[in-house]
Amino acid sequence: MNESLMFQNAPHVRQSESVRTMMTDVIIALVPIYVMAFFYYGPRALLLGLSGILFCVVFSAIGALVLHEKISFDLTPAITGLVIPLLMPATVDYFVIAAACAVAIFVVKLPFGGTGNNLFNPAAVGFASAAICWPAKVFSYPAPLQTLEIFGENTAAMAQSPAYSLALGAVPEYEVLDMLLGSVPGPMGATNIFVVATCGIFLMVRKTVNWITPVSFLLPYSLLLALFPRIEASSFDSLCYELFSGIAIFGAFFMLSEPVTSPKRDFGKFMAGITSAVAAFLFRYFGELEMGFAYALIIMNVFSPLFDEICEEILHVLRRGGKLKKVFFEKKPKEKTEKEEKLPFVRVLKKKKAEEAPAEAVEENTEAEELSEEEITEEPVIEVSFDETSEEEISEEENEEQEEKEPSEDEKTEEEAAV
Amino acid sequence: MSFFVRGIILEQKKEPMLTRSTLVMRHEYEYFDCDFPDIALDELSREQIIELARLAEIVDESDGKLLCEKLEKTDLGEGGTLIIDAVDDEPYISSQMSGCIHHPEKVALGIELCEKVLSPEKTYVAMYKHIFDTNFSIPKKIGNYKVEKIGGRYPAEGRVYRHIPKGKNAVVVGACAMLHLARAAEDSRKMTSCFITVAGDAILNPRNVEVPVGTSVERIIQLCGLNEKPEVIIMGGSMTGRSIFEPENEVVGPTTRGIIALSRGYHNPSPCIGCGRCDHACPKALSVSTMRKLAEFGDFEKLTRYDAALCIGCGACSYVCPSRIDVAATIIKAKKQMELAKKEGTL
Ligand code: SF4
Ligand code: SF4
Repeated sequence: MNESLMFQNAPHVRQSESVRTMMTDVIIALVPIYVMAFFYYGPRALLLGLSGILFCVVFSAIGALVLHEKISFDLTPAITGLVIPLLMPATVDYFVIAAACAVAIFVVKLPFGGTGNNLFNPAAVGFASAAICWPAKVFSYPAPLQTLEIFGENTAAMAQSPAYSLALGAVPEYEVLDMLLGSVPGPMGATNIFVVATCGIFLMVRKTVNWITPVSFLLPYSLLLALFPRIEASSFDSLCYELFSGIAIFGAFFMLSEPVTSPKRDFGKFMAGITSAVAAFLFRYFGELEMGFAYALIIMNVFSPLFDEICEEILHVLRRGGKLKKVFFEKKPKEKTEKEEKLPFVRVLKKKKAEEAPAEAVEENTEAEELSEEEITEEPVIEVSFDETSEEEISEEENEEQEEKEPSEDEKTEEEAAV
Repeated sequence: MSFFVRGIILEQKKEPMLTRSTLVMRHEYEYFDCDFPDIALDELSREQIIELARLAEIVDESDGKLLCEKLEKTDLGEGGTLIIDAVDDEPYISSQMSGCIHHPEKVALGIELCEKVLSPEKTYVAMYKHIFDTNFSIPKKIGNYKVEKIGGRYPAEGRVYRHIPKGKNAVVVGACAMLHLARAAEDSRKMTSCFITVAGDAILNPRNVEVPVGTSVERIIQLCGLNEKPEVIIMGGSMTGRSIFEPENEVVGPTTRGIIALSRGYHNPSPCIGCGRCDHACPKALSVSTMRKLAEFGDFEKLTRYDAALCIGCGACSYVCPSRIDVAATIIKAKKQMELAKKEGTL
C-alpha cells in the first residue's frame, strides 16, 4: 500500500479551474471574432490567424530547443499569435505578422524567462514594433465586405478608417450602428464592437478576466473622451466615434487584462486601469498614430510593479492600523509584563525564583518585558478581541490593587514620620 | 462586490458522511471509580464536574488541551459566553457536527454540566452555515441551546467570536468533548474513543466513525473499505492536514478530525502566471504572489516587511491557484525559517 502513496502539500482540495481552462476560455472567446473577420474579409482573415498561431508556437519551440528546455504544451503563445493579427488590417502581409510574432516571442518573452515572467505584453510590443517598421502596411485598411485574395498582390479597394478621420479632425462618414456591427474599415478584429464586448463579458463572467481591469479602464477613458472631443459634434456622438474606432475595447478585454503583466492586487488593478486610460487618451488626443492604445498598455506594464508596491504599502499601514491603536491607546509597557505573569505556571516559577534569588529576578523581568513586546508586535490583529479585554480587566483590577496599596504605604511612612 | 471580501467559497462535500449515522468500532470501554457515585446529575457541584473531566481524561478536540484544566482555569467573569465549537468549515470534515446532530441529548447534557462550572451568561453552539450540497438543514437548537450559524467564506473559525457581546470574555470548547463529558457523568466512562470523518473518492463507504484512540489509519480505512487504490492519504483536515506514507504506523488521536483518501493527487505545477488570485483569496490581505517569489529567493528581510508572520496557514491561496502551485506550503516554510533565523539572531 505504501509504495504508491504520494506526498502532497497542505490543501488537498483545489479549484477545478487551471491555467489550461483559463487559456481555453480566451481562445473560445477569440473564435467568434475570427468568424466575424471571415464574414467581412473572407478566408484570408482565418489564414492570418492560423499563421499567427503557427509562428508563435514554432518560435517558442525553437526558443525552448536553444535554451535546452522541455517543450511544454502551454497555450499562451497561441493566444499571442491569435491576438496579433486581429490588431492588423486583413490585407497585411504574412511576413509582418511573422515579424511581430518574432518580436513578441524572442524579444519580450524568452529573454525574461518565458511564460509568467515577461515584463511587457508580448502582443502589444509585437504590434507596436510592426507599426513602427511598416506603418503604411499596418495602418491602411481595406473596405469591409469584400473577399480578399489569399496570397499575392493586394488588389482590394482601400478606405479611410474612422480613427484616421478623427485624427484629422473630421467627422467620420459612418453610422454609429455600422461601427457597432463592424462594417467599417479598421483592424480586422477590433471593429465589431458588439461581438468583442460580448466575448469580453463572457470572459468576465467566467472569471478568467478580472472585471476590475476592463471596467476601470473603459469608464475613465470614456469620460475623458466625452469631456475633450476632437471633432465638432455633440459630446455623446464624439464619444461613440472615438470609443468605437480603434482597438481600445478589444484591448481592454484581451490585452490589458492579461494576468502576467498587470498588477496583482485589486487596488493596483484599479490604478493600472486609470493610468492606461489617461495614457491612451493623451496618445489619442496629442499623438498622430491611430493606435496609441498599444503604447499606453506598454507604459502601464512599466508601472505595474510600482502599483503593487503602493498597494502593499497601503495595506501595510492598514494592517498596522489596529496595532498602532493598541500600542498607543490601550497597552502600556507595564501591562505587558503582567501578561507574561498571567500564565499560572510562569507565575509559580517566578515566585520560587524570587524567593531564591531576588537579585536575578529583576533582570528576568526586563527580559520578559522585551520578549512580550516582541510577541505583541507579532500578534495577528483581528482575533485578539476577547483576550485583550480580559487582560484589560485584570490589569485594571491589579492597578486598583496597587493604587490601594500605595496610599497605605504612604500612611505607613507618615506614621513612621509621626513616630 | 468582491473587492472587499476575503477568503474563498469552498464546495463542502459533506455528504453522505453527515446524514449517515456514526459507525462505532467495537472496543472495550474503560470505566473509572469516583468518590461520589450516587449523586444525581443535577446536584453535582463545580469541583465534582471538574473531577469527572479529570478522571475521564477528556481532551478538548478543538485545541488539544485537557478539558479539566480548561474548566478549572477559565474565569469568564461577568456576562461571559460559552461557545461550543462545531464549526467544521473544511470540506469533507463533519465529525463535530455529526456528534451534535446524532447525539443532541448527550451534547446538551455535557453543555449543561459545563455551564454549571463556568456559569456563563450566554451559551451557543457554532456551526458552519454554507453547506449547499445537502438537503439537510442545520437544527435550530441542540437541546435547549441555540445554534448560531457561522456564515461567510472559508476560513470561518475566526468568526466564531462574532456573536459575543462586546468587552466580555468567551471560551470555546469542542462539541465532542461535551459528548464525552456527558458519558463520564452518566456511565463513568473514560474517553477512550474519538470521532473521525473518513471520506474521499477512494473510500467505499464514507462515514463518520467513532474509533478508540490509538487505532492505526490502516484499520480505520479497512473499516470503511476502499474502492480503488488511493494515491494520497491525508490525516487531519482537507485544507490543513498532512499526507502520510505509512498508514499502518500512523495512529489517530483526539485532535484528528478526519482521514481522507483520494484516488488522484495533484501533479505538475505550471509556472505562476501572476493572476493575483492568491492575493485576492488571502483572508489576511497579504500580498501572497509577491511573497511566494520572495520566499523562493529566500529574501527574509523583505518577507518581514510583507508581514509573512501574519499568515495563518489556511491554504486558501493554494486552493485558488490555477497553476496548482503550493503557495501556502512555500510561505509557511519560509515563515518557519524566518522564526528560526529570528531565534538565532541572524535576522
Ligand atoms: S495560507 Fe497564509 S498566505 Fe495563504 S491565504 Fe492563508 S493566510 Fe494567506
Ligand atoms: S494564484 Fe498561482 S498563478 Fe496566480 S498569482 Fe498566485 S501563485 Fe501565481
